[in-house]
Amino acid sequence: MNGHCLVVDDDAEIRTSLKTYLEGFGWRISTAADGGGLRQAMLSAKPDVIVLDLMLPGEDGLALLRWLSTQPDSPPVLMLTARGDTMSRVVGLELGADDYLAKPFEPRELVARLQALLRRSNKGGPLQDDTRTLRFGRWRFDRLARQLVSPDDVGVALSSAEFRLLAAFVQRPGRVLTRDQLIELTRAPGVEVNDRSIDLAVSRLRAKLGDTAREPSVIRTVRGEGYLFDAEVSAC
Amino acid sequence: MLNRLKSWDRLGLRLFLLMWGALAFSHLVAWLMLSQVLRGNLGPMKPPVGAAPSMRTDGPCRPPAGPPRGFGPGGFHGEGAEDFGDLGPPQHRGPQMAPPAARQAPMPTFPSLPPNLPWNASLVDYGVRLLIIAMAAWWGSRWLAAPVRRLVSAAQQLTPALAQGRPAPSLDEEHGTREVQEAAVVFNRMAAELSGQFEERGLMIAAISHDLRTPLTRMRLRLETGEVEAKVRDRCVDDLREMNRLVESVIEVFRPADMAQPQRVDLSALAQSAVDDLAETGLAVSFDGPPAVVRADPVAMRRVVDNLVGNALRYAGHARVSVQLTAGVTRLVVDDDGPGIPEAELARVHQPFRRVESSRNRETGGTGLGLYIAQQLVRRQGAALALSNRPEGGLRAEVVF
Repeated sequence: MNGHCLVVDDDAEIRTSLKTYLEGFGWRISTAADGGGLRQAMLSAKPDVIVLDLMLPGEDGLALLRWLSTQPDSPPVLMLTARGDTMSRVVGLELGADDYLAKPFEPRELVARLQALLRRSNKGGPLQDDTRTLRFGRWRFDRLARQLVSPDDVGVALSSAEFRLLAAFVQRPGRVLTRDQLIELTRAPGVEVNDRSIDLAVSRLRAKLGDTAREPSVIRTVRGEGYLFDAEVSAC
Repeated sequence: MLNRLKSWDRLGLRLFLLMWGALAFSHLVAWLMLSQVLRGNLGPMKPPVGAAPSMRTDGPCRPPAGPPRGFGPGGFHGEGAEDFGDLGPPQHRGPQMAPPAARQAPMPTFPSLPPNLPWNASLVDYGVRLLIIAMAAWWGSRWLAAPVRRLVSAAQQLTPALAQGRPAPSLDEEHGTREVQEAAVVFNRMAAELSGQFEERGLMIAAISHDLRTPLTRMRLRLETGEVEAKVRDRCVDDLREMNRLVESVIEVFRPADMAQPQRVDLSALAQSAVDDLAETGLAVSFDGPPAVVRADPVAMRRVVDNLVGNALRYAGHARVSVQLTAGVTRLVVDDDGPGIPEAELARVHQPFRRVESSRNRETGGTGLGLYIAQQLVRRQGAALALSNRPEGGLRAEVVF
């Protein structure tokens, strides 16, 4: 049995098919067609997670996101955007959406994302550390654009493997992480993560950070144990 | 009144006035200077020997060395001319050259000059006229060419401006001759119509593509929830994916360009990440190159790399990406060992929905928009995309910054 999900979409057929589909995976579904419906649903039975279409008639998804973020104890939101609509995606994530999917999406993908959101919210604590940019040393790490910004303001793109690794590191600065832990932390659907790929990603990251394996100053090798991210991380 | 005058302000009239004015002015100046020179020569010319050195053109500014000899400020036309007739340098006045009429026809009278001038005076005369007419002609030609140049540069900016979604350049409709103003009005109207049509077409296609997403989403969900045979469903899902790819590509093409914010990016890091991401999924791509910083929109550049590499993977099964720095020029190069593109087709593959017939058909995937989008995006970054067949075989795509 999964949780309770509120689907907000103005298209009636999408609402009903999503309901049928998600119910097949054990979700309890309520639906709303617009902002008014969302507010009402929030009053009656608080959902565990919300699927929110950004393109809504009347009050649009972004306004609703803003409203939701003012509510006490608001559930995590997965927003449905138009692909290529980077602007509203960025704004949406900054307004407190926890994840996004572009329409048309793979139904399976939606189920996986919803379950991940539910797991994270059940664990308690911050769902997602929602600061977009973190600072360590003289570098900035833009988690939305998935890039590093060097001390002299040059954008350094990260591959997904490097991004996942760095995202894991910055959340655990000053702690030794074994390769097994890193494999666990950087697991992603569709790719095989192993010792070798972790080592490769570490060396690529070091190269991008101007670190050398001989004298690494940011990502240190702890002999026989793993790696340690040796920098103070702060929001910026 | 002013408007009536303005209606006369035509190119022909201006040119006529300019040439006429320049000719008259050159005559006047030459005559004035010459008369000064001749007056200045009067004194030293009395003794014919040694007169030559002081006969240079600095005459006008220089007070006459000798007594003016009846050359009063007012007496120039009369006596002076007569004096000149008497006192001209003898070495240039052979007896046969001294017409008896010299005395009866006093000179110089504006604008004509006496036929028998000293050589240096003729030099001044011709020199001054030539100089003034040449200057007038030079100025006139520049002045004439200026509006044409403005028109040419505006026309040159029109295409990139339309391609990049910037406002079309406009010409000054208030100044210049009537022809220039008319040309400016016509050009501005044409540019406005063109950019309006571009925008409208883009908005319409983007809107259609955008609205296609809702039915695509519905169909995708229906395939999951309805009673559909697994085999049929899989094929329908494939079709939906393909339609979605097409929709995405079209939106990419017509997306307003002002979303892109160029920043300084490490091109090698960008290419390396794109390659690593593809390699992670088991594809045969490699990267090599030194760090190179360029000004670009990282999201658009990533799309360019993905499209070029995707193209190479589709037709050759592998791709070699590199960044090369030569003489201040940064290049991103994508090489493959595939079949390449026939030379005759090379120039045309940039066009939308273009696929090279033999090797690039629908079966190998792709919407035919990949290279077109790459080219559009590259252009928006102020770079250029060049495709060529490598001598060793295979295709080379180069982004030149």
